Amino acid sequence: MKWPAIASLTYKETIRNRILINILLFAVALIGLSLVIGEWSLGEQAKVIKDFGLSAMSLFGLLIAIFIGIRLMVQELEQKTLYLVASKPVRRWEILFGKFAGLSMTLLLNVILMLLALWAVDWVIEKRIDFQLAAAVVLIYVEILLIVAFALFFSSLMSPTLAAVATLAVFIAGHLSPILRDYVQLRPGTGLKGLYMAIYYVIPNLENLNLKMAVVEHLERPPHAVEMGILYGVLYLSFVLIATCMIFEKKDLK
Amino acid sequence: MSHFAIQTSRLRKVYKGELGQKDYTGLEGLDLDIPAGEVFAFLGPNGAGKTTTIKLLTRLLKPSSGSVTINGVSNTSHHSMERVGYLSEQPNIYGYLTAREFLDFIGKLFGLDPGVRKKRIDGLIELVGLKDRDRTLIRGFSRGMTQRLGMAQALMNEPDILILDEPLSNLDPVGRKDMRDIILGLKAEKKTLFFSSHILHDAEIVADRVGILDHGRLVQTGTLQELTGSGLKTIEIVCSIPQAGESVLGLNRDRIVRQGDRTLTWTDDMESAQVILEKILRSGGKVFSVTPQRKSLEDLFISRIRG
Repeated sequence: MKWPAIASLTYKETIRNRILINILLFAVALIGLSLVIGEWSLGEQAKVIKDFGLSAMSLFGLLIAIFIGIRLMVQELEQKTLYLVASKPVRRWEILFGKFAGLSMTLLLNVILMLLALWAVDWVIEKRIDFQLAAAVVLIYVEILLIVAFALFFSSLMSPTLAAVATLAVFIAGHLSPILRDYVQLRPGTGLKGLYMAIYYVIPNLENLNLKMAVVEHLERPPHAVEMGILYGVLYLSFVLIATCMIFEKKDLK
Repeated sequence: MSHFAIQTSRLRKVYKGELGQKDYTGLEGLDLDIPAGEVFAFLGPNGAGKTTTIKLLTRLLKPSSGSVTINGVSNTSHHSMERVGYLSEQPNIYGYLTAREFLDFIGKLFGLDPGVRKKRIDGLIELVGLKDRDRTLIRGFSRGMTQRLGMAQALMNEPDILILDEPLSNLDPVGRKDMRDIILGLKAEKKTLFFSSHILHDAEIVADRVGILDHGRLVQTGTLQELTGSGLKTIEIVCSIPQAGESVLGLNRDRIVRQGDRTLTWTDDMESAQVILEKILRSGGKVFSVTPQRKSLEDLFISRIRG
């Protein structure tokens, strides 16, 4: 198995990446800023801080996933650094999976640092640690990994700019897709029902990975929401990664 | 196991044209048999298909048709690369790593144990002359240093077969000599070497056999002796002719160059050279040197490419 070596190299690469460090610092600073924003709310300071903090994590996770995910392969292909790796006794899928695994490790570290920052801010207000935040953060992490998988998929097919737009479109559509399902349920007689449901099933339902509201508002969560979310996300990203590996397997490294 | 280190059969590569552009044939029906231990130089002008061939050998490109076998194993399997070292043209290496870190990574890709990796890295760093820079980031390396490191990574698995794309380009004269010495050392170790070059002089020094590629087609292969040894280009004679002057030679004035008391003349074959030498001696002249000028690889290359 050669992918761990590639994963370790990718981790080293991304951790030394200035863009990533800047995004992370900005995210942590923004979570810190939520203290000020929380001041403006009336009696809902803790809620606002948690909501703001989790949203910031999700947004910056998305930015990192798109920017670093797309750069990861595109840069290797453009700078031709991949030649010396792909010509070794290594399977193509191991290269791709190693890249994904390495970036996943970096993202895990980022998410942990952002969660620690959020807990620190929460501590200042509530003088206690809300461990429920971790449940939402776990699913934010799974969502970011899914976006990374899409970023790799699109960057193996199209130019970096188009790949970034397509990945962002999946993120937005993924959060809006339940509307399609609800629409069909509210209007069962609609003519394009089959098409709407097909789109609903093809696009990932990222709301399955969204526990922010439930955690912040202390709402009752569906049973096994975290476990089911992880399973859904991992299955979905596995399909996307397998499709990307199949494309990469046939790709000419010109 | 095949006694051929590298074999290609009707190897063809067609690049799909971008939107609105025609397809382009990069390589057409290449048949090559490179025996183990041979040094084979692949020559051709820019765009002839040298790099395409090398990328097909090293699995970077997928052939449109035909096949490649390395040590008797089809290169559709990644295992075929286990005994191969490859250096790309103008290699780009991860700038955020040090030379040691990069070689260690390459060692891991070959599945080498940490102890073996450490030992080989020490030896290779010494061999390519990067001892003083082995712990600095590669992004600060010059082109020549990167090329040396590229050569080191190609040797990390102690390969039987080395595939080198323009290994002697981008180097200063000292670097070129060092790299040539490394290649000659590998030749002495009976490694199989397949290298492309546009510097014909290097091929003449290093290669056992040469292939000339043009417009994606192999136009000629053979040993240097076979390709260049058959024909004499000219025979140069340096002499002095004291009394009767050059007229005794009975030669065209275009073929006579005088410098001081010495005269340089040349002829196309050994028989006429013999006649001229006799005339010089009979007229009381002296012969200082007789030098046969052999057809060089460059002459052959130019005549093949220009048709």
